[in-house]
Amino acid sequence: MSRTSHFHVGIAALVFAGFLAVFGIRYGVSSPSNVSNIVLSPTFWPYVVAGLIGLSGLGLVLSARGAAAGEAEEPRPEGGWMRLMIMAALMVGYVLLTPVLGLVWTSMLAFIGLAFLIRTDHPKSAFLAAILVPLALYLFFAHVAGMAVPQGAFVRLP
Amino acid sequence: MSLFDNFMLGLAVVSNLEAIMALIIGVAVGVVAGAIPGMSATMAVALALPFTFSMQPITGILMLLGVYKGGIFGGSIPAILIKTPGTPASSATVLDGHPMAERGEAGRALTMALYASCTADLISNLALILFAGWLASFALSFGPPEFFTLILFSLTIIAGVSGESLLKGIVSASLGLLLATVGLDLVYGTARFNFGDPNLMGGLNFIAVLIGLFAIPEILSMVWNPHGHEGKVRTLGRKGASFADYKRCFKSIIRGSFIGVILGSIPGIGAAPSAFLSYSEARRKSPNRENFGKGEIEGVAAAEAGNNGVAGATLIPLLALGIPGDVITAIIIGAFMIHGLQPGPLMFVMNADIVYGLFMGLIVSSIALFFIGGAAIRVFKYVADIPRGILFPLVLVLCVYGCFAVNNSMFDVGVMFAMGWVGFLMLQYGVPAAPFLIAFILGPLLEDNFRQAMLMSGSSPAILFRSWITWFFWGLSALTVIAVIRGGMKARADQKLGSSGGM
Repeated sequence: MSRTSHFHVGIAALVFAGFLAVFGIRYGVSSPSNVSNIVLSPTFWPYVVAGLIGLSGLGLVLSARGAAAGEAEEPRPEGGWMRLMIMAALMVGYVLLTPVLGLVWTSMLAFIGLAFLIRTDHPKSAFLAAILVPLALYLFFAHVAGMAVPQGAFVRLP
Repeated sequence: MSLFDNFMLGLAVVSNLEAIMALIIGVAVGVVAGAIPGMSATMAVALALPFTFSMQPITGILMLLGVYKGGIFGGSIPAILIKTPGTPASSATVLDGHPMAERGEAGRALTMALYASCTADLISNLALILFAGWLASFALSFGPPEFFTLILFSLTIIAGVSGESLLKGIVSASLGLLLATVGLDLVYGTARFNFGDPNLMGGLNFIAVLIGLFAIPEILSMVWNPHGHEGKVRTLGRKGASFADYKRCFKSIIRGSFIGVILGSIPGIGAAPSAFLSYSEARRKSPNRENFGKGEIEGVAAAEAGNNGVAGATLIPLLALGIPGDVITAIIIGAFMIHGLQPGPLMFVMNADIVYGLFMGLIVSSIALFFIGGAAIRVFKYVADIPRGILFPLVLVLCVYGCFAVNNSMFDVGVMFAMGWVGFLMLQYGVPAAPFLIAFILGPLLEDNFRQAMLMSGSSPAILFRSWITWFFWGLSALTVIAVIRGGMKARADQKLGSSGGM
């Protein structure tokens, strides 16, 4: 990995450690006022971890100065960012639509969506698998494992 | 109860069709998953985990162990045929396996890989049976200070799973430790990082974090670069490895098996270093050392013996101490917990039937691996030809069903997706995910034992040095840190020498 990645990760770790030390732990962790010793406080461990993140971040930034330039970065695939954004939208849709459409139907849509997003060479097989796989998983989880699979508000499965 | 009684008890637990079938299916699923480039044994175990929820504990855990063992062998198939290791542990197999495939001897390389894997697996299982009980009875005398130092030592060996940058490994482990603090504080019962959300009161779901870190980033990588997983498949050739081949490689197989057992029983080292050490030892000792790297069958045998020798041995610290030996056993520890079992010394007392049932099942798994692996070699082409455009959507849907099944919660699915993006970013920046997961599992144990020790001693740190056991683990931790620093300095010096020599 190139020194650039060391530097980037190091800076991100330093910023995150600083955020934790100044805001994150203060507002994210409740500590009672009667704690007898700092090492028993609920905030002690998070502060130790924040320190560890900060120190390793500092180490990464310093090591990036002395590190070799490394291999040239791989070229970014064409349309990669756009596909990632669509994938993020697909994930949000998966979570939000499941209570409405049910897990099986949402999974079918997500299957087809992802298959086309990664440019499947077998659209017919992908379409068939998109129907069969969620149904088979429904049969296993609902009827063998006894799990309450979300059915949604429209088409309910037996 | 005597050892014999325990084995009889174990045999009674495991002697049923359901358990044996689960084991066989597990091995088959593992071999197939390991053989598919882009999948891995880790991902296969993670995806198989939710299917075991409705099973008996022994059946479910045997299935996962089958997936684990099958996956480690399965990784050698694409390593030999398309120069793409299915698992990191199979990287050493590529060195001689692929040149053999290029010569048209893929079948010979694969069958030798299978024979070496099964032999090493059997030796590793026997080591587990012999040593785990002994270690567990010793660990019964551990208190919170001893466990704290043991877990601290286990965390120092994260260096072994950090890949090329130890500092990135430490960042990753620290993030895992931080994420493990989410939920209620165990001493005071106050909230930590849950921001008023009741879903976070019990902390983050282990399965959601696990699947998110190991399976979703692979899907996102595929989305980022849909043509990144392509390879050229070789034909098998007509001949398999002969008995004479096996006899010639037997010494290297046995040596590799013992290297695997020793390295596997130390938490955090894993199969890849073992495979490479076994390979380099075989090359050092072999009369055919000049053929290594050019398609020497002994090289394939040594590498496979090294990586499979780890499989049973990683269960020694898992079962005896409750410490996962590598990422896959870290997932398997989750399976124990989901079934209400806590691996560790007490398990040998409270659930001896399950422990000895697992031992018996593992012996059966070596036999199952021999037959299923043999069949997989013949049908590999059909397995590897699953189009990526179908495989990855299938994995996505499996991930969602599996994650949802744990708590019937879409919140967990959201956590899984979020962790997937974290894992993808880590992948892009070369930050290893394994230290994150190991620290996420060991973090609560480390903190709880530390605070219990402090409560016991009235906050005096002297308790952390109270016995020879704590001194032993402090010493081991110090030795590991020194070894890691020396290794880093040597690597840096070599790098400088290389760059100045290259000028």
